[in-house]
Amino acid sequence: MEIIVTILILLGSLFMLVAATGVLRFSDTLSRMHATTKAPSFAMLLIVMAVTIYFSIAIVILKAILIILFVYLTAPLAAHSISKIKEHNSSEKNQT
Amino acid sequence: MENNFLEISIYIAFGILILAFVFALIRLFKGPESSDRIVALDLIAAIVMGLILLYSLLVKREIYFDIAIIIAMISFMGTIGISIHLKKKA
Repeated sequence: MEIIVTILILLGSLFMLVAATGVLRFSDTLSRMHATTKAPSFAMLLIVMAVTIYFSIAIVILKAILIILFVYLTAPLAAHSISKIKEHNSSEKNQT
Repeated sequence: MENNFLEISIYIAFGILILAFVFALIRLFKGPESSDRIVALDLIAAIVMGLILLYSLLVKREIYFDIAIIIAMISFMGTIGISIHLKKKA
């Protein structure tokens, strides 16, 4: 069980590092958003699964389902909002 | 021995997450536009949630789970609020 928790923790933090590297190295705002919307959600899923497997109490499982639902529900909404202001600004710049 | 193994792996994961935090912080300071800064802040909120979950694993208390939920909510509301403000300003 501890082996599974260890593997999940290390994989989750590696996915977070991949997202941060993408944010640092990519050249465009939309490319950076492509790096930063999907990988952190998956990393959060892995880390929350690790903590849930480690504790395995009913209330922790309930909170874990809640937090995974919330993260997977709100990450696309936030990304859509950011991309909308980006597109709004660029179209305005092209018009003038 | 097993417990010690898990503790060492938690410290390694702390190091990786702090490296990711530094990368996102560099983008936050350097970002040419404000949308880049919002993207970096969103990533920083996710990294801080991961750090708090790892800390709850280190001290073996499950009460720190609530902080991660609150950080997720506040990060979402902050992103939406800043983007609406920027769209109104532009």
